[in-house]
Amino acid sequence: MVIYRDEYRLYDFGPGHPFSPVRLEMLTSLLQALGVWRQPLEPPEATREEVLTVHSQRLVKRVEAASRGERVPDLEYYGLGTGDTPVFPGMDRAARILVGGTLEGARRILAGEKRVLQLGGGLHHAQYDRASGFCVYNDLSVAIRYLTQAGLRVAYLDIDVHHGDGVQWIHYEEKGVLTLSLHETGRYLFPGTGHVHEIGRGEGVGRKLNLPLEPFTEDESYLEVFEALVPWALEAFRPDVLLVQSGADAHYQDPLADLLLTTRAYEAILRLILEYAQAYTGGRVLFTLGGGYSLDATVRVWALLYLVFHGLPLPERLPEGWLKEWQARLEKPLTPTLHDPQAPRAPYPEIPRKEEIARRNRLTLERLMELVRPHLVH
Amino acid sequence: MLVKDVMRSPVLTVEPGMTLEEAYRFLLEKGIRHLPVVAEGKLVGILTDRDLRLAMSHLNPGGPLPGSTPVAAAMTRKVVTAHPLDPVEEAARVMREGKIGCLPVLEDGRLVGMVTGIDLLDALLRLTGVTEPSGRLEVRLPDRVGELARLTGFLAGRGVNIHSLLSYPEDGGFVRAVVRVNTLETHLLAEGLRQEGFEVIWPPRKPW
Repeated sequence: MVIYRDEYRLYDFGPGHPFSPVRLEMLTSLLQALGVWRQPLEPPEATREEVLTVHSQRLVKRVEAASRGERVPDLEYYGLGTGDTPVFPGMDRAARILVGGTLEGARRILAGEKRVLQLGGGLHHAQYDRASGFCVYNDLSVAIRYLTQAGLRVAYLDIDVHHGDGVQWIHYEEKGVLTLSLHETGRYLFPGTGHVHEIGRGEGVGRKLNLPLEPFTEDESYLEVFEALVPWALEAFRPDVLLVQSGADAHYQDPLADLLLTTRAYEAILRLILEYAQAYTGGRVLFTLGGGYSLDATVRVWALLYLVFHGLPLPERLPEGWLKEWQARLEKPLTPTLHDPQAPRAPYPEIPRKEEIARRNRLTLERLMELVRPHLVH
Repeated sequence: MLVKDVMRSPVLTVEPGMTLEEAYRFLLEKGIRHLPVVAEGKLVGILTDRDLRLAMSHLNPGGPLPGSTPVAAAMTRKVVTAHPLDPVEEAARVMREGKIGCLPVLEDGRLVGMVTGIDLLDALLRLTGVTEPSGRLEVRLPDRVGELARLTGFLAGRGVNIHSLLSYPEDGGFVRAVVRVNTLETHLLAEGLRQEGFEVIWPPRKPW
């Protein structure tokens, strides 16, 4: 089941902002051009009360006031009105529409649906009391809270290149929520957190896992640690449902970060996630989108997500008409194939520190597993 | 950052008449390594776990002292101390040069706190740590008037808030500045800084 509505594109920080609604327009038009687009389920927008299950009154009031164009003096204290997360008219509703989609996904899972793909959301930086990093309301946490209140154990997997800090902090002391974030190390990348020693507090100890990766990590190393960590953690935690934040910004073309995944790694990761859901959560899995700031790469990664999710065959080339239209609109060339180019046309130059990077990632994985094993495995 | 910002208080102390054995149990129980010895409200000495173990060991030049020996017999009497308003870096220098592990903090002759190497590590973590969601910029500046101002002025001009700034001298007449800024878009800032002639170390320019 796919969840989407055109109003997702109201979540728009304005021209030039990387978190652009053009990504959704490109993606849906590509899926249409490929002939695979089916009428999605249009979710209701989340209510104020639903947002308040994970956010403070203080924050929500300020988002509402700023949405109406009122002057709010202490906005910046709440992470709003900054260069990254500026305010725009109707922001509150636009954010609630995205929350509504992810929450609807959670409802459908609870009603017996196995696989749900929410083509939006994934606003993992939003915290209890503040907006942050393009994220106003945390749709993922609202969905997680809904599921845990229904008595389910939730595993949250975050493959966005940035640490899933908002989700981690909101559920930091919760026993029934496993968070698992793979990201470029906070030593170098926003938001700066997501170290291996952040493992949860109180009842949540050992259920918050972070695998910070070296800058310039490539496909092989990423997949190696992913395959060692994710099934291990899922098997130990025994979740009822898997929620996946599918940011596409670990791709080598991404202008905001420094990992070097190709679409081939993404295809492998997505197939593995579906396998893990089959093995550990009875097939119950809810995907959202997330970060991804190269239009060219992000749209191809999410098209892969849609196709792999539905078990459809992967086309080699993208439709000519679609390419022509978007190249004209963006005034730049697009990759004409679904996958990235391969050798001999290597997509990026060889990384001399490749082996060292792989070794350090392995070491980080060992440290993480040592730290959480006593709490997670029992 | 001042000593009063990093010191521990209230302080756990012992009296000179306490026995070595009692003092050792006390150290273990409280999970500490340094015991200030106080008589009539005055600091009269300091006893570390190392002093204690040596005093009661066969390696003690005068032979092992029995566990019933009073603390006063094994303590160091000449104690190096700090004042709450001393800068942390001065406390660190005193400890480094004397190779000592702690400084009792005295105010008007009263023991008001303790600073240990661990507290200085905490201070380092605070100086270098991440307390707000932020990205990292690392820039090498020529060591001359106005360069740091140029950097921070550029960031202010872009509407970027600086959460923390750490700088240290580098060989060859440079200053390395590590800046934590409230944005995901550090690559964009780096590009702008390069165009203004700054040498940006992180984030790197991608050749593809």
